[in-house]
Amino acid sequence: MKENIVIIGGGIAGMEAAKQLLVLGYNPIIIEQQDHLGGHVSQWHKLFPDMTSSHELLDGLSNQIKDANVFLETKVNSINALGDSYNVILNNGVNIVAKAVLVASGFHLFDAAKKEEYGYGVYDRVITNADLEAWFNKRADARIPEHPKAVGFVHCVGSRDLKAGNSQCSKVCCTTAIKQAIEIKEIFPETEVYCFYMDLRLFGKKYEDFYINAQRDFGVHFIRGRVSEVGETIDNRVQVKAEDTLTGKPLKVTLDLLVLMSGMVCNPRTNELAEMIGLNIDDDGFLKSKDNVYTIMESNRPGIFYAGACTGTKTVPETVAEARAAVLSIHHYLTQA
Amino acid sequence: MITEGKQKIWSDYQKEIPDDHWYYVRSCIRQNFFPASEKMFTEITQKVLGKDLYETPHHTTCGGIAYHCDTIPQETVMTIVARQFALMTEAGYENYVPSCITSFGNYCEILETWHEFPELEAKIRENLWKACKREFKKPKYLAHTSDLIYHWRNAIAAKAKHHLVNKETGEPLKIVEHIGCHYAKMFPSKGVGGAEYPYVLAGMVESWGGQVVDYPERRHCCGYGFRQYHVKANRGYSVSNTHKKFESMEPFHPDAIITNCPGCPYFLDRWQYVIAEQTGKTYGKDGFGIPVFTYEEMAGIILGYDPWDLGLQLHQVAVEPFLDKIGVEYDPKAKYLGMNKEDIMRPELPKSIKCC
Amino acid sequence: MNNKDNKPKNLYEELCKDYRFKEGFHTCINCGTCTAICPAAEFYKYDPRKIVSIVQTRDDQQIEELLKSDTIWYCGECMSCVTRCPRKNGPGLVIIALRDLSARLGYFTESEKGRQLLPLTHIMTGNILNYGYCVHPKSFKWEDHKESGPVWKWHTEHLEQSLARQGANYMGDGPGILRKIPQESLDELKAIFDVTGGTERIRIVEEYSKAKAEEMGMDMEEYERQAFEYCSDKHFNH
Repeated sequence: MKENIVIIGGGIAGMEAAKQLLVLGYNPIIIEQQDHLGGHVSQWHKLFPDMTSSHELLDGLSNQIKDANVFLETKVNSINALGDSYNVILNNGVNIVAKAVLVASGFHLFDAAKKEEYGYGVYDRVITNADLEAWFNKRADARIPEHPKAVGFVHCVGSRDLKAGNSQCSKVCCTTAIKQAIEIKEIFPETEVYCFYMDLRLFGKKYEDFYINAQRDFGVHFIRGRVSEVGETIDNRVQVKAEDTLTGKPLKVTLDLLVLMSGMVCNPRTNELAEMIGLNIDDDGFLKSKDNVYTIMESNRPGIFYAGACTGTKTVPETVAEARAAVLSIHHYLTQA
Repeated sequence: MITEGKQKIWSDYQKEIPDDHWYYVRSCIRQNFFPASEKMFTEITQKVLGKDLYETPHHTTCGGIAYHCDTIPQETVMTIVARQFALMTEAGYENYVPSCITSFGNYCEILETWHEFPELEAKIRENLWKACKREFKKPKYLAHTSDLIYHWRNAIAAKAKHHLVNKETGEPLKIVEHIGCHYAKMFPSKGVGGAEYPYVLAGMVESWGGQVVDYPERRHCCGYGFRQYHVKANRGYSVSNTHKKFESMEPFHPDAIITNCPGCPYFLDRWQYVIAEQTGKTYGKDGFGIPVFTYEEMAGIILGYDPWDLGLQLHQVAVEPFLDKIGVEYDPKAKYLGMNKEDIMRPELPKSIKCC
Repeated sequence: MNNKDNKPKNLYEELCKDYRFKEGFHTCINCGTCTAICPAAEFYKYDPRKIVSIVQTRDDQQIEELLKSDTIWYCGECMSCVTRCPRKNGPGLVIIALRDLSARLGYFTESEKGRQLLPLTHIMTGNILNYGYCVHPKSFKWEDHKESGPVWKWHTEHLEQSLARQGANYMGDGPGILRKIPQESLDELKAIFDVTGGTERIRIVEEYSKAKAEEMGMDMEEYERQAFEYCSDKHFNH
């Protein structure tokens, strides 16, 4: 009989792990809260840096994990240690005993309404990065005007913000903002696009090329200054205040659409899970790995492993790589034991 | 504008405001420039609503303005405040309500600093004992007078003779609210509605029948800036900030502005006159300005008090067009009379901005 | 006491002792959130971000230049910056600490805006110690406040009648609006000033201002009047 491996979370990390576990001859069981697999990526349109279609990526992965057991719209009610195994009880009454559990519960998108001064949920023309991706997919959102003259992107919304309770950088937002800025310019070539950033953190392969393209081919304006406040004008546009810190001058622009780059914060559901089985939480609220250099996939409990953004902010390629690494760790753990 | 979004935020910032037994301290600026507003506050609190509000003649300035003009050290302002608290303690009260936003901010800041640095509080207690032989307890509740009027807004509405409604059209009047910076910008949780969408004045306007108008520069400072007004050479700062606000609110055609800060109504009123003198521009209809009211003045208007008992004759921007809109009756000839209808002459009327 | 000997060994360390500084300065990310909404930044050549950034260098020479400059006097202490800083700084609080140090060391006399501290000190502490208020009708001269309009000219010309009409208890006994603060309470305020350094601060500001007036070849009245009224055009953004 094949060995059960419980995977908590059916996002890109859980799916990739399931795929690799199948190859190695295990029986992966994915527990997913939503009614579909794919997590945040399923809500996205295209992924940087190659403008990969997120749906094609997920469709491909889904095809490869057909033999995995998947519980959708299901939550973990409890986990208990049982000898050298874990007894995982689901809210649908199913019990699974497994020697290894992979936590791949991902992140939460920061609730942009918490940055009250930006007016998300108050001003008509303020949306988030996720809303824009949804619009790229469906082209339906009353907040997005037909022919916007000017669009702004606000980096670091809820990231690197002690007041919002998050000191961490969300890593992906700088590149995502540039990607989305380019996509906006492709749809609306006449639109002026502004990116308000504190630091452009374009560390990954080809990210800097995105930046160059955005400047050279699309004329996107980059303003080094964090947006301080947003107000609504009489014609429902948004007035945005920032300092252009490179010239040292306060700046006020009126835009037709403002996109808030909501960052990644820990998934509160993960913390509940951690409490059930005594997993350590780091001071940023994410799960605490054994260390942050060499054993990121390992928890403080034998048999429990991590993959993806449950331990901190990650890109898709990092998440996929971690899922594979976690599978190897699980395999070593089970074969050596 | 998505109203539900604002309501959600408002509900996140509710503060506990006891209904009765308040120790009252006055505002330096308001006593000078809007004396009748403080009169109206005690009238509403004590006479209309029958609440216990205590004032001792021995209380003084809190020193807040001098402090923010950088003319007194922190220990000085803290010890003055400690003395104010001692007077409250001696009077047997624990709910403290200042009439001034600078004071309110000053008290919030000092209590927070003492909380964070208890050794400083100990030092101030020692200072107060040395200087005045007094001891104090910290207030159990601290509210601004506008918090109390907000708290009682519906009780006031129940007794209203007028509403913030255009009597001709039946439409609610469009009211701009202006919150003093020190109300909640330093400590958002201390203000009703928080720092970004304060509800303290908006709640009154809604309760009294008006419609709150938001505009892009709503949160911007009126331009007081302490030393930026008190020193003659700096007043350009002050007027330029008021100007920015009026340019931003102009397209919304507000019928009036309601404020909760001592300085703001003065600056928003007087700088309209100065802007008119300097540029010929006025922001109301037909050469008038936009009238600016304190929350007590507005409460007094809807409760049916005589506008000249409310001190509205001390505004430079004429209030009559506003009174006419809601159908308040008044005697224009009585506007500038003294006590017992004594003739004390009339101010000269400026040519740049229409006055009555 | 010779004020010239006041200079501390290290200005940054001196700032660190100030509670406003402890509350208002942590680490600055130079994002400009403070400057973006600063009422002073649009009007003056002023950038609160740069001030915090200079302080963050801990470089005494730069801090000393700052303390002697007009720059620190442009802020209106509205504290709008405090709401927004993502690093929980309060640039406005840093300014208060810098101004305090500038006053103590006499550096304020080195700038046009700094020299305004003398008339301000006289107006504010005079009102507090003489009347118990920060602002008082007896010292509010319409001639210095023409912006208060013709209505206020009329009001000040008929002050007692007008205030009585407003329900004030002007200079009266007992509680009420603009009441006379009892002498024993004024005596307590004076004692507080003496105990807490308020009186000493007035002395220091006057002493440094006097020295500066001499240096500028002015008598005190002329010096103070100029500080109160004169505004050169070097300060403005536009």
